[in-house]
Amino acid sequence: FRYTRNLVDNGNGKFNLMILCWGEGHGSSIHDHTDSHCFMKILQGNLKETLFEWPEKKGNGEMIKKSERVLRENQCAYINDSIGLHRVENISHTETAVSLHLYSPPFDTCNTFDQRTGHKHKVTMTFYSQFGERTVCVSTRSYTLK
Amino acid sequence: LPAGLSQWFPALEVLDVSGTGLAEVGAELLSLPCLHTLLAKNNRLGGPGSLPKGLGQAPLARSLRVLNLSGNRFAEVPPALLQLRGLRSLSLGGNRLHSIPPDIQELRSLEFLYLGGNFIASIPPELAKLPSLKYLVLCDNKIQSIPPQLAQLHSLRSLSLHNNLLTYLPREILNLVHLEELSLRGNPLVVRFVRDLTYNPPSLQELAGRTVKTRNVPYAPSDLPENLVRYLSLASNCPNPKCGGVYFDSCVRQIKFVDFCGKYRLPLMHYLCSPECSSPFSSASQSSTSQSESDSEDEASVAAHRMQKVLLG
Repeated sequence: FRYTRNLVDNGNGKFNLMILCWGEGHGSSIHDHTDSHCFMKILQGNLKETLFEWPEKKGNGEMIKKSERVLRENQCAYINDSIGLHRVENISHTETAVSLHLYSPPFDTCNTFDQRTGHKHKVTMTFYSQFGERTVCVSTRSYTLK
Repeated sequence: LPAGLSQWFPALEVLDVSGTGLAEVGAELLSLPCLHTLLAKNNRLGGPGSLPKGLGQAPLARSLRVLNLSGNRFAEVPPALLQLRGLRSLSLGGNRLHSIPPDIQELRSLEFLYLGGNFIASIPPELAKLPSLKYLVLCDNKIQSIPPQLAQLHSLRSLSLHNNLLTYLPREILNLVHLEELSLRGNPLVVRFVRDLTYNPPSLQELAGRTVKTRNVPYAPSDLPENLVRYLSLASNCPNPKCGGVYFDSCVRQIKFVDFCGKYRLPLMHYLCSPECSSPFSSASQSSTSQSESDSEDEASVAAHRMQKVLLG
């Protein structure tokens, strides 16, 4: 029971276009974007985006919040690694949210960060569905530091 | 609800009255025999009489599967709701709940329970008596501790605890073998070794009880007053596998860190039968603190390894 990533188009290997479906209270971990461009547009509901500074190399303290904002329907956002890291979450307890994401070049691994310590951990991202077909993962566990 | 609803639509299965400003759902609901989904979020429900009288006796009590009352004004879970024995999914997110009634255990078929965004301060152990519960959402509340009994939720796959007031978790959380998702961010989890310095010595009754149990002194219900028979049945086993002792009321609380590859340390609270007993997580004595505990053949370390997969990307 977490947000789903649904691949819509892979642009001949040049980009990934996907739709993310967020249930009430669902949020992502703090993550980077593996040197890619990331565009996000809210299709339904609202999503809160919290920006974080990159932790120090020997990160051993609470990560520093740069800013936060709530993105409304039809609003767009952009991020890349030089801007920082972010956490995206649906903070509503009554409404679901849907967002459209464009990543170029495409990537399937990134780092997630523990907000309390700045420690990072590499993860492989998976799709819930691709081109309308349910993707069955090799492993059923969603390994995300939340 | 319009009068005559059940006459016009006797086969109604799904009713969505969300965002209509309703202050109460009336008795018209009771004569809808096929209704399995009722969505009434973002209304003004919450006062007395929000739900119709006789809900427990209506056909609805057995047929309703999904009930969404999120975004209303409930300050307590209405007792009538607990009679909906067929309910599989219940959402009371974004209300004004301060507690969860122990009678929540009456909802035997419940698989999904959303209570995020309330003012809940504690969780009754009776919540653990829900045998089919798979998804439990308690984020954005004021919860300070998780009862160890929650580990009895054998079907639990997803537990959402982010943005609460937790400083530690019970060690028993490692026993949730089917848990695949656990969110803990936004809690003031302790990061340093904490030891409960006050230790109340055991009472004479406790010392006698411990001896009876550990020496296997035989006794029959006719040998002892009923209250002592009951007392003896409440013995808890010391989690230290090398100890084999038991305790009743007198125990040492200790927070130990279960370390996952040096990346994420989870503070877990467990109870030891005496200050001399050492932790089940390491064979070293209690004075070893913030070092990362290495994996041993311990049962606890297998469970910790599994939890590592749940917590880490």
